[in-house]
Order: sequence, then C-alpha cells, then structure tokens
Amino acid sequence: MFPNNWCKWTPVALSADVPAGTVIPAWTPTGDVALWRSQSGQLSASSDRCPHRGMRLSHGFVRGEALACIYHGWSYGRDGACLRIPAHPDLQPPASINTRNQITTEREGIVWVVNEAQDEPPPSFDGYWPLRSMTFQASIAALEAAAGAKADISGLIRCTLGGETAFLLAVTKGEAETIVHVLADKNASLAQRIAISQAGEQLRRDAESADALEGAN
Amino acid sequence: MSDPMIDEWYPVALFSKLDAAGRDTLLMGHPIHVARTGSERVAATEADGRSLPVRIRYGHVWTSLGEPKKELFDIPEADEPGRRLVDVGVVRVRCSPLRAVENFLDIAHFPFVHTDILGAEPHTEVEKYDVEIREKEDEVWATKVKFFQPQAAKSAAGGITTDYMYRVPAPTCSVLYKTCPPRPGEWDVITLFVQPLTEELCDVWPWMALYDDEADMTDLIHFQQMIFLQDRSILENQIPRRLPLDPGMEIPTRADMTSVAYRRWLKRHNYTYGAQLVAQ
Repeated sequence: MFPNNWCKWTPVALSADVPAGTVIPAWTPTGDVALWRSQSGQLSASSDRCPHRGMRLSHGFVRGEALACIYHGWSYGRDGACLRIPAHPDLQPPASINTRNQITTEREGIVWVVNEAQDEPPPSFDGYWPLRSMTFQASIAALEAAAGAKADISGLIRCTLGGETAFLLAVTKGEAETIVHVLADKNASLAQRIAISQAGEQLRRDAESADALEGAN
Repeated sequence: MSDPMIDEWYPVALFSKLDAAGRDTLLMGHPIHVARTGSERVAATEADGRSLPVRIRYGHVWTSLGEPKKELFDIPEADEPGRRLVDVGVVRVRCSPLRAVENFLDIAHFPFVHTDILGAEPHTEVEKYDVEIREKEDEVWATKVKFFQPQAAKSAAGGITTDYMYRVPAPTCSVLYKTCPPRPGEWDVITLFVQPLTEELCDVWPWMALYDDEADMTDLIHFQQMIFLQDRSILENQIPRRLPLDPGMEIPTRADMTSVAYRRWLKRHNYTYGAQLVAQ
C-alpha cells in the first residue's frame, strides 16, 4: 500500500482524470485535497477547504492559473496564496489567507502528492500504465484476500484480472475504505483493458462482500 | 440540555398542509407529533405525551421544547393588506441550522451561487452597509445593504440595484426586506424559518409576504425553491458542518459584517445548538 516506508508519495488520481481547467476531490493522509490543473497545465493540490467559510474547494472552478471557491469566488494561486476577493475588488488579500498546498508530481500518468519535499521521485512501474481509479468500501486486507495477492515490499499488489496481469496501487482511507488505482500493460489491447476493468469491478464486489460478512460476524 | 435555545420557538409544520393525522417530526433531537385539532387549532406533543406550547403564525405551526420567555417575534408587515402570503414548503439540508441562517444573511455569494439570478459577475462588490445589535429588541439588524441583481425577483424584468435589510429576531430565523419592483417605496418580505432537527440537520421553511399581483403562485414557489436548492449545494459541503463561533477557524471580511454580528449575538446568548465552540 501507499504511502509506505519506502515511498512517502500518495497516488491520488490519474493524470487523464484532471484535464486543464478542472478541479477534482482527492484524498491524502494529510487530508482531503482539491486537485486542480491550470489552463497552462500546471497541477496543484490545495487543502479542500476555503479558509473564508469552510466550503470545499473541490466544488470550485479553475480560471487561468487560479482555483476559485464556488461560494464567494475567492481565488487562489498555485502557491496557495489568496489572489482575489470579489466582494472587495480593490483589496489586496493578506498573505495569511492561504490554502496550504501540498507538493504534486506526475509520473507515467499517475498524480502523486506529498506533504514535504522528497529526494526520491515516486516509483515507475515497468511498462504498466494506469487504467482507472476505484474506491472500495473495504479494508486493504479484504482487497488482498479478494485479489489473491499481497502487497510486495514496494507496496505494489500484482494480481491477475480478466486473465491479464494487473498492478494495483492501494491507499488506505480509514478502516473500511481503500482507494485503488489499477494499472495494465502499456501494450494491452482495448479488449484486454475492458476485461481488466470489468474484473476490477468484480474484485470490488468480492472485497466489499467479504468485509460485509466479517462485519456481520 | 442547558442551551437557552431550548426556550425558543421553532417552525415544525405548514399550517395549511397539516391535517388531523398530523406529522411526526424531530425538534432538537426529540421526536414530536404535530396535528390539527380544529379549524384554527393544533397540538404538539412529545413522545412521552407531554404537550408543548403552540402558535400558528406566518403560515407555520410553531412550538418549543422549553418554556418560551418571549412571545413569538412579530413581523408587522405580515398583516398588511395587499400582500400575497406564500408558503414555499420545506427544504431538508444536512447542515447546522445556524449555518443555514448565516448563508441567508450573506449577499456576497449571489454572483457565484445564484448566477444570473440574484447576482452576476462582474458586479461582485459588496459596498459598506450598517450592522447593529438592537439592544431593546435584542435582534441583529443589517441595513443599507445594496447589491446589483440581474433578476432580483420573479416580478423583475431586468437588472437592478436592489436594497436590502436583514433582521435576525431568533437564533434560527431571519427576515429579509428587499426592494419591491412593482411598488417602489415598499419592501417585499422573505423569511427563513429553520427547524433544527439535530445540530447537523435542519428543515428550512422559507415564507414570503410579497406585493406581486401578477406572478403565478406556482412560479413564485418554484423561484424560491430553486434559490434554496442552490444554497443547499453549498451548505452540505462546508467544513465543519457546525458553525464555528470561535474566531480563527474562518476568516471574515467587511462584506461579512452581518455574519460577524450574528455569531457574536449567538455567543453572547450562549445559543450554541449547531455551533462548534472549540477550534478543531
């Protein structure tokens, strides 16, 4: 699972799921983040709470190089500093108003976030590229049991889905929720990718029902 | 429960919709039953059979779990002839009842949440207005509030600068007075009556007393419900769910003076049902 002792980065989303000019909610061990990509393509992870009235910034909108809150339109730059308060157009917002952004990077189509600067970049997966992200209402143990495989020392789960080899990047979110990014061979055909994706949904059902049974006992 | 909010009046039903079978609902976490017992009579009872005080006013049935020290607040305009009284209905919102009131007091969100209806960019500036806690009435008042609106009301054809006054006569109720397009010089009355189901769940009962002879009643109700549904998308996504009363958790600006006075007034009275007191 991620993050772990060897990798402090958390995989939070697929690059393809955050096109330029959009924002999505994501999760890190430090807390919820609003993950957004500016018009010019720069990625940022802001704390998912506007300091003004507590509104989730992941419900906001991206304009140019800034993320704006949907409630009152306060906008924030890539460094987290508040740039503009529309109710007071002539006011220069004080530097203390800040969304406390984390550090982001992208590698091979995966977005990684970390709280403090790291010497090591996030890992590479040897020709395996991300297919989709999923949320399991199940523990990581239930996921491993359903996949018939355990995470290796690097945190990666290698298993077979739809007859193909797949890699799973799992992130524990609370006791009974796991975020899973599914990776497939870069050269997999469309039919193989669909088979892996559908097998991923079956894996989710298996893991969730295993946890539900355990909960009932 | 030592919170003095227990002695306040709360809306628990629309009088026009209440029949003899009545309705089961929740008030501050307590199950209650409200039913019509006569043409102008209603009864409210707690689960153990205890009868609660009731009032029928402003289209709604009001009750209290405690012993109200004051009569239900007055809205003198409600009795003026020529006004159309509009029962808007109910919107359930998963938020603190106090957050629902605070949102109602806020105009700066109009261009972003009620886009092209109550506000529109680039008309986002909130000019200075007056706020006070009126000691004699023990109410929060904001006056001389102005805002540019593309379509201020169902009866407004184009964009106008609308004048507002806001009043908070009870911890979960607010009365808004706004420019009335068909009758310059008069004020339309729009209220927000909030029923606290729990500290993090409420039923919002908007009610209006308007000078509008033309609009269809259904259109008036739809207009107001659309506005409140837009507000709900905000209210259910604020963190924390309860209203923080300690400074430091949230950052107000001059546009938020009404909210600042409301929070101060709540704190002064120890009205904390739905509030968060310690920054977490």
